[in-house]
Amino acid sequence: MSIAEAEAQELQLEQPAGLWRDALDRFRHNPAAMAGLVVLILLILVALFAPLLARFGPNQQVGPLTTDPAGPGGEFWFGLDRQGKDLYSRLIYGTRLSLLVGLVSVAVGLSLGLVLGAVSGYLGGWIDNLIMRVMDVMLSIPGLLLAIGLITVLGRGLFQIMLAVGIVNVPIFARLLRSGILSQRESDYVTAARSLGAPGRRLLLVHILPNSLAPVIVQATLAMATAIIDVAGLSFLGLGPADPGLPEWGRILAENASRLESGSHLVFFPGFAIVISVLSINLIGDGLRESLDPKLRA
Amino acid sequence: MALLSVRDLEVRFVTRRATVHAVNGVSFDLEPGETLGIVGESGCGKSVTSLAMLGILPKPAGRVTGGSVVFQDRDLLKLPDSELRKVRGRDIAMIFQDPMTSLNPVLTVGRQLTEALTAHLSMDKKEAVKQAGELLDRVGIPAAATRLNDYPHQFSGGMRQRVMIAMAISCRPKVLIADEPTTALDVTIQAQILDVLSTLVREEGMALILITHDLGVVAGVCRRTNVMYAGRFVETGSTDELYARPRHPYTLGLLKSVPRLDAARRERLEPIAGAPPSNMHEATGCPFAPRCVYATQESRERMPELRPIDRHDHLVACWNPVPDADLPEHEIVAAEWEPR
Repeated sequence: MSIAEAEAQELQLEQPAGLWRDALDRFRHNPAAMAGLVVLILLILVALFAPLLARFGPNQQVGPLTTDPAGPGGEFWFGLDRQGKDLYSRLIYGTRLSLLVGLVSVAVGLSLGLVLGAVSGYLGGWIDNLIMRVMDVMLSIPGLLLAIGLITVLGRGLFQIMLAVGIVNVPIFARLLRSGILSQRESDYVTAARSLGAPGRRLLLVHILPNSLAPVIVQATLAMATAIIDVAGLSFLGLGPADPGLPEWGRILAENASRLESGSHLVFFPGFAIVISVLSINLIGDGLRESLDPKLRA
Repeated sequence: MALLSVRDLEVRFVTRRATVHAVNGVSFDLEPGETLGIVGESGCGKSVTSLAMLGILPKPAGRVTGGSVVFQDRDLLKLPDSELRKVRGRDIAMIFQDPMTSLNPVLTVGRQLTEALTAHLSMDKKEAVKQAGELLDRVGIPAAATRLNDYPHQFSGGMRQRVMIAMAISCRPKVLIADEPTTALDVTIQAQILDVLSTLVREEGMALILITHDLGVVAGVCRRTNVMYAGRFVETGSTDELYARPRHPYTLGLLKSVPRLDAARRERLEPIAGAPPSNMHEATGCPFAPRCVYATQESRERMPELRPIDRHDHLVACWNPVPDADLPEHEIVAAEWEPR
């Protein structure tokens, strides 16, 4: 075999190192991001297998009604709450709610934001102006306040709350994507593709969008963490899901925050659950930001 | 009958604050298989002319305000975009200046190459991939078939420009516009790329419009040359004639400002004094007049038209062309690159 042939073979064997693969490689070598990912995967497993992991039902009364609930220990790992429910089991079931809330509200915000941002950035003109001014108005209202307003209109169901938190995220995604598209739209390779006769739809979907998505992906991860906090915060403020039986972390925190002296475990454990889930997602987001940074691209 | 006939092309960039007169009445004909050079300094409207011909001026500021671009009996400027899109890439294709930014970084080279093939020639996927491999091979990329799955960042600048050329010729266009195809490359790679280009043009019988500011490049590749200044052609003629007997003071100035290897040490380069005019306003006199040692009162007041001088195919837009006495004794610029 000649050297050239050997080289050709080697070239073939070599995996094509795409941009996403590069990014993945960098992500894998980021210990903080990997730690976040491990924690998130654990949380997802907890959510999936909640009925197996929980020792009791989330609303099952296993102890007495009391103003001085039992602390952690013995049969009840995280202690009992004032209704005599097992806190550990409630938190396990609550994982499902929090992850769902994060996912759904980001999905809502992302899908609306991407459509508006893409239309705005690609078409430009008065449509761009109209959409962006509406986004400006939404951004000028503090996020939590806007969510509260939306909940007042939509009602206090779990889905309505996710929708409200999602809508608060719309202008952020729209602006990010729009600015990405604006910077890519006049780039050389788009002009080159145009000069070869690529139709507008193809320009947008194949050339412009994939090159503008990296910051949006990062923002989506971070928004997921914020969504969990926001919903917990709304529940804390008493604007959570109307059903009092839902084991929502923020609500558990709120119910017990005013009486810390008897049952500090009722505040500590849900608070801790919120912190680790949000922290893990934030670590992943930061890791993605670093690994998708265009300046690190080869 | 010319293959491509541009008449009085006018391009303006209109913004809220000002209107830039980028191209002011450019006319030329391109015969099948002809190689035509357009030279001029940065900002003189070379690239804008070619973008306007294909209808891909930056929107919304750029607009064609006059003239016609007739290709095979159809005025491209009057075609609806859906029709013009079929012309782009299939009949007229373009190569851009910077190979580092002209390829989409997130798509494999193979996908970008097959794009035009599937769109214009309605090839199926398999056929297109095969064709793409052959194209890469033709532009001289080693182990071409194995590189289709590679991403642009895995190619060097010269290799990327070869990929660009492969993309541009994929549908066997009748006209290839190369906009500064070698400017971003170093000199040895330049020669290779020009070699690939002129070989392909000759083999395929494509007409080539080579846009550059490098007189050496034009000398090697183009049979005919247009010199552009401030959005107008100021001199046009066969490349040999133009280099031997430049009649427009600007052409002479350009030639004199290029260093040559065989010049005596003492010979100094003569830069053209001054700067190009602002193109915010319609010029009234010759746009080169303020920088011109030959300028007359007439130059400053009336716009000169291109008219024949010496020979029927040597045109110059000048009221007071360079006199014989001032012409250099020997040809000023040698071709930096000779076709094989």
